[in-house]
Amino acid sequence: MKVWARLALAGVLVWAASGIARADDLLKAKIGVLRLSSSAPVFIAQDKGYFRDAGVDVELKFFDAAQPIAVATASGDVDFGVTAVTAGLYNLAGKGTLKVIGGMSREKAGYPLIGYFASNNAYASGLKTPKDLAGKRVAVTQVGSSFHYSLGLLADKYGFKLSDVKIVPLQSLSNAVAALKGETVDAALLPVSTARTLMDANGAKLLGWVGDETPWQLGAIFASPKTLTNPQLVKRLLTALTRADHEYHDVILTAIKDGVAPINDKTKPLLEIIAKYTNLPVEQVVGNCAYIDPDGKLDVKNLDNQIKWLQGQGFVDKGFDADAIIAKDYVKAD
Amino acid sequence: MLDRSPQETKDRSAEATRPVAFRGAGFTPGGSRYSGWIALALVIAVWQLAGSAGWVNPLFLPAPSAIAVAIYKLATSGALWQHLSWSIMRIGTGWIIGTTAGVIVGFAIGLSTMARGVGITFISALFPIPKIALLPLLILWLGIGEEPKIATIALGVFFSTAISVYSGVDAVPRNLIRMAQSFNVPFHAIVRRVIWPGALPSILAGFRITSSVALLLVVSAEMIGAQYGIGAFVLQAGNLMQTDQLLAGVVILSLFGLLVGKLINLLEVRLLHWR
Repeated sequence: MKVWARLALAGVLVWAASGIARADDLLKAKIGVLRLSSSAPVFIAQDKGYFRDAGVDVELKFFDAAQPIAVATASGDVDFGVTAVTAGLYNLAGKGTLKVIGGMSREKAGYPLIGYFASNNAYASGLKTPKDLAGKRVAVTQVGSSFHYSLGLLADKYGFKLSDVKIVPLQSLSNAVAALKGETVDAALLPVSTARTLMDANGAKLLGWVGDETPWQLGAIFASPKTLTNPQLVKRLLTALTRADHEYHDVILTAIKDGVAPINDKTKPLLEIIAKYTNLPVEQVVGNCAYIDPDGKLDVKNLDNQIKWLQGQGFVDKGFDADAIIAKDYVKAD
Repeated sequence: MLDRSPQETKDRSAEATRPVAFRGAGFTPGGSRYSGWIALALVIAVWQLAGSAGWVNPLFLPAPSAIAVAIYKLATSGALWQHLSWSIMRIGTGWIIGTTAGVIVGFAIGLSTMARGVGITFISALFPIPKIALLPLLILWLGIGEEPKIATIALGVFFSTAISVYSGVDAVPRNLIRMAQSFNVPFHAIVRRVIWPGALPSILAGFRITSSVALLLVVSAEMIGAQYGIGAFVLQAGNLMQTDQLLAGVVILSLFGLLVGKLINLLEVRLLHWR
């Protein structure tokens, strides 16, 4: 009896000691993310323990807009941010308070993410394709947002002037949806997650997807200069994320047909993880899987184009380019 | 008792010879002309010092000089006047509509039993609703033109005005009204000659609050698809993280508030000279 008790005690001690040793090795990090499927690899890496395997103890901090994540990263409230790159982010990065360390979601043909939507009346009176948006009243959330830039790319592609489009900034997605439903704007740019319910309720007509018209680098991973002084942490985090990027790409993205991922034995576990973190049913997750490069590459050329465009519009302070805001040691360009 | 009283009076008369400074002046804070400005200048000086000495990151708190440069650039590019004129139009129209409706409803509540019962219930129920939460609905009802922007401001102004007007009417001394009624003064004359001047001080105090409310609300009103306007400018600067421009917009708003405050002072001097 006594022998057993001693053995048990020894076992407990060994277990506790190994636990302490493991905890010592782990580096702590806070990541700011949105509850959107465009951050899917972050959720997968967290849920399947890839961060822990790579030696990082990650705490996810959830935000409700892209801009506050950039601010929180600059101020050091979170160590890393994963979200869409916006004019606000570039302004912070231009002042040296942020660096981009990797790529995330992209607008790419065949993967619905942001769409152009027409109000029912405007559609009936001839607004049928994205090309027809010239001269119309188009709702976006904010000036200098991803939606505004997408519209700028469209104008360049079809050779109309962006100033011909009447941009209506409405500050929030719910306001933009209300304006579209109420027929007070002709069209709006909305993310697929918001637009699905609107389309199902017959409140608007889809004109096309930004990814099909003008592919571009939408999301990125970024960190504050203070975080970058710890290369060990950054490397470990990126290793874990790339592992999740690969899995997400190979399992879900390659299976997507007509913009929708099938639910089967292979994809279901990952889809359920995304559903859990985005608070959406799996049936909705399958329709908005953003494209993410399997190696976490960043389209630096496009980033530079974004900065130039935003500087030209006066939304971003002049005097820097993409090279100035990326951490070259970590970014894999394509 | 009786035999002690002569002694007391004697004591008192002895004390009365001691001169005592006048104590009962009450607390009357006098208006010193300069103290406010000196305090303001000191705060700005410390702020500028913190900025130029590099104690704070200019991103988190731009120095006053950076804000001044932003305002100067805005003024020379002509954008400032465009922003200001749109905002003044919205604030002015919204405030006038809200105030007119508020004064009428306030007087009705103050004078009629029926209106009082209905009006106070509705005001209590509707006043605490945050107008910003209603923005999507306002867009559905009124579109994204000038109407919802003016309506947002008018709604905010209306409730405060109505409340300050009916409490002003309630505060008119009842005996003055009763006296006028005893002399058989007609109703409209009582309202015009007795109740209106009696309620005016609190109505004007209400104006002071509602003009600030209108300035507060112009930012939320201009969330609705505005291209120009001080509120739209502040929002855009916030969205783009241009903190110096953001504070420039805020400074312009608060200067505007000071100006309106002065205007109401003038109005008080002219209308309340009988006080």
